[in-house]
Amino acid sequence: MNSIELTSVNKFFGEHHAVSDMSFEVPEGAVYGFLGPNGAGKTSTIRMIMSILYPDSGTLKVLGDDQPERVKDRLGYLPEEKGLYKKMKVKEIITYFGTLKGMSRRDAAAEADKLLVRFGLEDAASKRCEEMSKGMGQKVQIISTLIHDPALVILDEPFSGLDPINVELVRDIILDLKHDGKTVIFSTHIMEQAEQICDSILLINKGVKLLDGKVAEVKGQFSSTLLVDYDGDPANLNRPGIVRVNNMGNSAELSVEEGADTQALLRELMDAVKLNSFTLKEPSLHEIFVRTVGESDT
Amino acid sequence: MNRMLLIAFREFLENVRTKGFWFGILMMPIVLVLVGVVPIIVENTRVAKNYAVIDETGVVLDAVKQELSVRDFRHLLTDFTKGEEDMLPAFLAVFFPEIRALDEEDQENIVDYLFNDGKLDDNLTRRLTNQLTRHRSAIIDWWANLSDEERSQLSGSISANYFRLVDVTNLEQLKEMIESEALFAYFIIGRKVVEDGSGTKYVSNNLTDRDLEIWFGELVSQYVRDQRLSQSDVDADIADWINEAVSFEGVTLGKDGETEEVDSTDIARQWAPVVFVYFLWISVMINTQMLITNTIEEKSNKLVEVLLSSVSAISLMGGKIIGIAGTGLTIITAWLIMALAFFIGLPMAAGIELPIDLSSVMADPWFLGSFVMYFLLGYLFYAALLVGLGSLCNNLKEAQNLIMPVQLIQMVPIFLMIPIGRDPNGSLAQVLSYVPPLTPFVMMNRAAGPPSTEEYVVTTILLIVSIIVAFWLAAKVFRVGILMTGKPPGAAEIFRLLRAPVTRRVTSP
Repeated sequence: MNSIELTSVNKFFGEHHAVSDMSFEVPEGAVYGFLGPNGAGKTSTIRMIMSILYPDSGTLKVLGDDQPERVKDRLGYLPEEKGLYKKMKVKEIITYFGTLKGMSRRDAAAEADKLLVRFGLEDAASKRCEEMSKGMGQKVQIISTLIHDPALVILDEPFSGLDPINVELVRDIILDLKHDGKTVIFSTHIMEQAEQICDSILLINKGVKLLDGKVAEVKGQFSSTLLVDYDGDPANLNRPGIVRVNNMGNSAELSVEEGADTQALLRELMDAVKLNSFTLKEPSLHEIFVRTVGESDT
Repeated sequence: MNRMLLIAFREFLENVRTKGFWFGILMMPIVLVLVGVVPIIVENTRVAKNYAVIDETGVVLDAVKQELSVRDFRHLLTDFTKGEEDMLPAFLAVFFPEIRALDEEDQENIVDYLFNDGKLDDNLTRRLTNQLTRHRSAIIDWWANLSDEERSQLSGSISANYFRLVDVTNLEQLKEMIESEALFAYFIIGRKVVEDGSGTKYVSNNLTDRDLEIWFGELVSQYVRDQRLSQSDVDADIADWINEAVSFEGVTLGKDGETEEVDSTDIARQWAPVVFVYFLWISVMINTQMLITNTIEEKSNKLVEVLLSSVSAISLMGGKIIGIAGTGLTIITAWLIMALAFFIGLPMAAGIELPIDLSSVMADPWFLGSFVMYFLLGYLFYAALLVGLGSLCNNLKEAQNLIMPVQLIQMVPIFLMIPIGRDPNGSLAQVLSYVPPLTPFVMMNRAAGPPSTEEYVVTTILLIVSIIVAFWLAAKVFRVGILMTGKPPGAAEIFRLLRAPVTRRVTSP
């Protein structure tokens, strides 16, 4: 069963075609990455799933309901830009967001206590939000997103602006949610994170879907890459059979043409530069991203 | 609806915790104290204006002084300042309270006896008649020898409180005194003032404050008129009869069509709505301002999107408006309780009877009911307009520009308060009652009239329809505006938003 199904969804802002003929499915229990450059239409798509915006055409099914606003209470959403009421106390605001999701005050308060302990914030429960550090504030926002035990959690750019410790924290939360059988969607433009965490991805640019599916399947659609550590003139890396060179100085990622003879390529490269290592592997999401988005832009 | 109330309740709690809320509540006692205390302070700190007179006739000024002395003595009897009994000479202090207790006619008789050689009436008590006869010359001497300073302490109505004659007649010296502001003005009474009124002058550097000129002019005119009458061989009684002005007794029609005498309470009742309008206006201003501030704060705090993931934009907007309406109702309820305590509880506790029966005016259920109803309707109307516009802005500065036109309209009732209070059923008042942005204020203003039932019904329906339309338009703008970032849109863009069809029905979760 799918948590989300979009069929030919369009959204306009005035003349601007923000989301164009978008169709994809998010399987239940998946960790699903929304990838795309800034302004690709990720947030607009998420807002339509959350019934904050409404599509101009197309159909949108969330948790099996084609009137997504009816299932709002079973969704948890952490927007990219998020804040807290500065004057409210931590437990108070978490409980408030719980009640806004249809929980009774008592249940919400009890759940808030549990989550505060789990996130190590039990001592901050009666602090005002304005007294919190940035990291603590982020934890409070995440707790507020999860308080009502949502079946589907959507995190918009959850890693942006986080220090490494908090990046790990958020990653662990996502993995915990997956472990509990929840569906998690998060958007990012940092491919390494998506590669580490996601089961499936959707890549969009300028409101148009470029590709989607399980990470392994997506990678399968692309020819392999050669990872080389080398000394020498990077211009010499350009050989017939190599589509694109992603030069990083001492190493480079080379996209290989489909059906090319990688053994012959290795021999050629050994002549052209001094090779320190040579790995043949499937393309990284970063490589796929750059290649696909680059193509769609031209 | 449930979620809307959750939003409303949080909004209410948040506002109750702000300084603005408590300032709003405490403003009432501060205003009450100012209204009660400031006039007393002004009264007590007023400085009498000095004036001088050059009397070319040599007789007019003396006559005026004599008349003034009699008038002031009359004030002594009618408006004696409580607590100044020590200043009276012993012989007068004995029977002075008895004179004070007499009615105006008997007091006038005594004044006439003392200063105009009149006869004492038979209806005065024997004791009082004896005392007056025995001490007549002592009283006249005592009174004649009192200084202006002493006189002014005896009664607030005595002329020395306001104007004091300075005994200087040298022109050069007078000019200098006016320059140095030791003198407010001087008069010249021409030689032929009785014959043709010529040669009179009033010299002052301040020609806008005409109190002194009018007051002294009246005194001289009276003397001149008396002189002319006596020169024309007109009998004194006939002269009085000719001079007697006609005064109309103020009467108002009661509910049963019978006439009733107008007293000061009726006048207070007539003007009470103006006070209510003033507070109505303040409370609508305070609360709509609060609404705008909170909306923009929520937007700039990036809370809006989180909220919208749980509730619809309409619930959010509605919740905010209801929450702040609750705050406003709390403030005005506190005001009313304080005002009632001040005007009814305090005098009762202190055992004072107010000269005006303010309690009946204040507690008039018609006024109170109108006040609460028009607060809610007025607030809702402006709340809808301002929350719609406020949702487009990212900070208060942007908002200030965008809401300026609405605030200009909000100012209008302040300018209308007095003209409408004066003529609550005049055509200006009637026409403006039908202009929805003004209806709450104008109708409150007219409550003493009061307007006819038809007017209440029609204007209220018109206002409620306008509120519904305003909400409908505000919702259209709000659901888009609240997520908008960057520069707020111009009028054309807002108009486009208003015309855009609603893509999909928004149901509250």
